[in-house]
Amino acid sequence: MHTTPIMTIHAVNQLIEALEDYLDKSEANFSMVLDRGGSILCQHGTIPKNSDPVIVAALAAGSFAATKELAHRIGENEFSALHQEGKTSQIFTCGVDDDTVLVTVFGPQTTLGLVRFYSARTVKQILEVIQESRSSDEVVPLFTQQDVNAAKAIFSR
Amino acid sequence: MAIINYANKEVQFKVVYYGPALCGKTTNLAYIHAQVNEANKGELVSLATAADRTLFFDFLPLNAVVIKGFKTKFQLYTVPGQVMYNATRQLVLRSVDGIVFVADSQWEKMEENIESFANLQENIARQGQNIDTIPYVLQYNKRDMPNPAPVHYLEFILNNRRVRVPSFAGVATSGQGVFQTLNAISRLLLQKFAWENEQAVAKHQRSGPSAFTSLSGIAAATIRR
Repeated sequence: MHTTPIMTIHAVNQLIEALEDYLDKSEANFSMVLDRGGSILCQHGTIPKNSDPVIVAALAAGSFAATKELAHRIGENEFSALHQEGKTSQIFTCGVDDDTVLVTVFGPQTTLGLVRFYSARTVKQILEVIQESRSSDEVVPLFTQQDVNAAKAIFSR
Repeated sequence: MAIINYANKEVQFKVVYYGPALCGKTTNLAYIHAQVNEANKGELVSLATAADRTLFFDFLPLNAVVIKGFKTKFQLYTVPGQVMYNATRQLVLRSVDGIVFVADSQWEKMEENIESFANLQENIARQGQNIDTIPYVLQYNKRDMPNPAPVHYLEFILNNRRVRVPSFAGVATSGQGVFQTLNAISRLLLQKFAWENEQAVAKHQRSGPSAFTSLSGIAAATIRR
């Protein structure tokens, strides 16, 4: 069993379906599912121009992890959600489980209440997919140690 | 643990640069960012104080070599080295795949080097892991300073576990040793990942054909866009 979900095409399609429905109902712009280390498992929607989702993911995961730790320091079990509000955009971040986070970016066309309402259902759908992926014994040969040795340069300069 | 995305045909690793304050962790990332070509790097993000001291982390995403059709990606992080930011270091270490420990070669920094390495071991243990099972390399930075300790002394105090790890002398400000270090940790991670994958495939082949999934079988499903 894998502690990190392996994202098969089937799992990604299920997540995209869940996120598509979530964005449609909540009228948010963009959402992504992250692992606690800041890696994107799935994303859907339109991210603000000139934003790099990889960087948004790393920052969001770090921010949420800090929030969780802050909760512990003041005697709370956790803060299950985090809301950040700007002039035109807002970010809502909530935990799916201990290792997974859902991040939603939305604008003035919707409200925090609507986003929170639909996020609750989406979190359950995401959790089901993630748990199934984690419990999967599926194995696919990717590359061997010989393939790694044959690679001349790891990074291009 | 490495993230495998069969849909995007990507394998992603998280590497954390660790070490005492002002040892050159951020300088390593800044040099790497300056050298890697535009198509294979993202923005270098630094969450720092006004005095350019790392407050939370630095982050640099890199695209690396494609192996058998799978894109390999590395996310490089640094931690704040100052003693008071230990809670933050623990957060940055979450889901780490590989570590670069950057030591400051100056004689007067030896105690800090040792304390920082001990702190790394403690923080790894807090996550239920063991430093001996996580790929890591050592970089002895600041070899250009007027009073550096000899490399063999740094080896004696930092590379003295049952299995010695690769170590590199470095001057991060000029780039010396920076890519040798990065390439070493990247190869270690790729080798470990490939070995684990080979083991898992061999185990499933012994279980019988029904437990084995071919890449073509997974690829037959299409990705919704």
